[in-house]
Amino acid sequence: MPRLTIDGKEIEVEAGTNLIEAARRLGIEVPHYCYHPGLSIAGQCRLCMVDIEKTPRPSIACNTPAADGMVVHTQTERVKDMRRSMMEFHLINHPLDCPVCDQAGECWLQIYYMQHGLYDPRMLDEKVHKPKAVPLGPHVMLDAERCILCSRCVRFCDEITGTGELGIFGRGDHSEIGLFPGQDLENNYSGNVVDICPVGALTDRDFRFRVRVWYLDTTKSICPGCARGCNVEVHVNRKRPHHAEGRRVARLKPRFNDAVNAWWICDVGRYGFDAVDDPSRIRFARRGDAEVELDEALNALLDALRRHTPAEIAILASPDLANEDLFALRRLTETLGIRQVAFGVPPAAPTPAADDFLLRADRHPNTRGAETILPAGDAAAILAAARAGRVKVLWVFQHDLLAAGWSAAETRQALERVDTLVFSGTNDNATSALATLVLPLAAWVERDGTFTNFLGRVQRFRAAVEPLGEALAAWDLLGRLLGPLGVPPAGARAELWFRELATTVSAFAGLTYQSIGDGGAMLAGAPPTTAPEPPGRRAPAPA
Amino acid sequence: MTIARVEFSSEQLAEVRRLQGLYPDTRGALLPVLHMAQDTFGYVSLEVEAYVAGLFGLSPAHVHEVVTFYTLYFQQPKGRHVVAVCHNLSCHLAGAQDILRHLEARLGVQRGETTEDGRVTLQAVECLCACEAAPMMQVDDRYEMNLTPDKCDRILRDLR
Repeated sequence: MPRLTIDGKEIEVEAGTNLIEAARRLGIEVPHYCYHPGLSIAGQCRLCMVDIEKTPRPSIACNTPAADGMVVHTQTERVKDMRRSMMEFHLINHPLDCPVCDQAGECWLQIYYMQHGLYDPRMLDEKVHKPKAVPLGPHVMLDAERCILCSRCVRFCDEITGTGELGIFGRGDHSEIGLFPGQDLENNYSGNVVDICPVGALTDRDFRFRVRVWYLDTTKSICPGCARGCNVEVHVNRKRPHHAEGRRVARLKPRFNDAVNAWWICDVGRYGFDAVDDPSRIRFARRGDAEVELDEALNALLDALRRHTPAEIAILASPDLANEDLFALRRLTETLGIRQVAFGVPPAAPTPAADDFLLRADRHPNTRGAETILPAGDAAAILAAARAGRVKVLWVFQHDLLAAGWSAAETRQALERVDTLVFSGTNDNATSALATLVLPLAAWVERDGTFTNFLGRVQRFRAAVEPLGEALAAWDLLGRLLGPLGVPPAGARAELWFRELATTVSAFAGLTYQSIGDGGAMLAGAPPTTAPEPPGRRAPAPA
Repeated sequence: MTIARVEFSSEQLAEVRRLQGLYPDTRGALLPVLHMAQDTFGYVSLEVEAYVAGLFGLSPAHVHEVVTFYTLYFQQPKGRHVVAVCHNLSCHLAGAQDILRHLEARLGVQRGETTEDGRVTLQAVECLCACEAAPMMQVDDRYEMNLTPDKCDRILRDLR
């Protein structure tokens, strides 16, 4: 393994590591635009110049592998001068429209411009004008004037999705990023080109003009869009709510995790958070059509649970619930002796399909957790029992049973036959409309918890915003029922429920919030995971 | 010019494979194959780009990158003859702009355009490496040098 010196600090790195990554490990940032650790080397932006002793001229750090005994300087006058000149080139035709550019505040042109202190443009000629505000597809907007031709987006479509929609057309100062005429940037990963664009050339049509990025707060989370459990950041607009018409979640951004999703997330997940701030959110408990205090609703539910025999009670849990919720539910069913418990409901046609990379056909974040924590149950059998009049209390979590892959007429018969239909969920749907008792649940961004992905990786998500109205995390709601039933709840924090889960369910043994950390940890016996190979790297070139 | 069908003959396809075999990466043959396509189909339309992309297993966008980079690929139908007038430094000093204006007036088109009868495409191009005979132009495959308006008229007369 080569040992080298960068800015006077020694480091040993794996063979093949380039100088940008080697410096990064020492906490030294080598400025760059075109280099991205998930893509091939383009050597296009020429910004990552460093001085290497015994080489006559500065070299680009991205394409220089670390070598034994190498002595690298990232801050010599010569190198700084070169970077300043490169910045000047990059800005020659840049429109400097930062006041109306979404990238402002997280733009590497701004950042490096400030760092390199170049303040006056020397160009006298008029700037080259190029197309602006060109929709490339449903999610991405192009401003060709802001583009510095780093080619990251082109390489993304070639090497990651393998779809190859983008190219750099023309040449010289007339070069511009574009699509093959007539084609759209419509692959399920298109949003990632916005993330990797170092400037404001590619912006997100959903996020565009909603809020300045410096008003956003960031929380580490897990995408609930499918069973993959991609690591994400939730960006929340708390400081300027009037900028986004009450939309609290401004956007989701991928969070690097080599074991799950690497740098990427799919568009289904990225744009799948609308339900959080949707008018359909259930904010308060309801009895019949009337909103009631949460305690009144909980007492009514307790009453129904006590009045009936366990055989008359059935619960349809949800694979959208967190591990902590499912464990609290298990406690409740064990306490009351309820045997009719299930969570899996078949999706309506057309059944969602997996894509060829990250997105799974199972669009629930915690099916594996539900399988591990709850006993195996048969939702269809529960519905059949309800239709036959054998279920008096049916408690449904989150599902819209009328939109499932069952006969809606038969499901309606079943739901209308039960005495007390309880619905607890985040959003109203056709099932909640039939419920006699409705309990509001906090959305995933409003609470802490863990999901177990399809490979058995347990991952934490954290509260980014306050729950709406009186909504509670399901573990909290269930804890408030367990107390009066004589079972002390595990505690007032998700972490305490998880601790109890880990001591009770053997697959979770040894796991704690601390050991799960930011990157997740495997269930006992589950082999370690790696992010799948991108389709663009998998496909051999056709002859 | 309209092309019934964008497709190479079997002999041409064999030639494509031969050219691809000459390079460590088959992509190296993209330029000669695009020239073949231009000669066969008249110009490199988007349809031709997509067809050629298929022959190389490349995305059409990649082929479009190449075609838009080079000036000798025509993306629009071109005339039967291409008149390319140099307007780089030496020719400029020797009156290339007058030559261009003269040709534009004679042909009734602007530089970059093709006459309505499809006879001539007029272009203004950069240095063609014949500064010693400025002003000059390239007519199809041959150089015409030391141009005067009269000489241009004679040359145009011979283009059918």
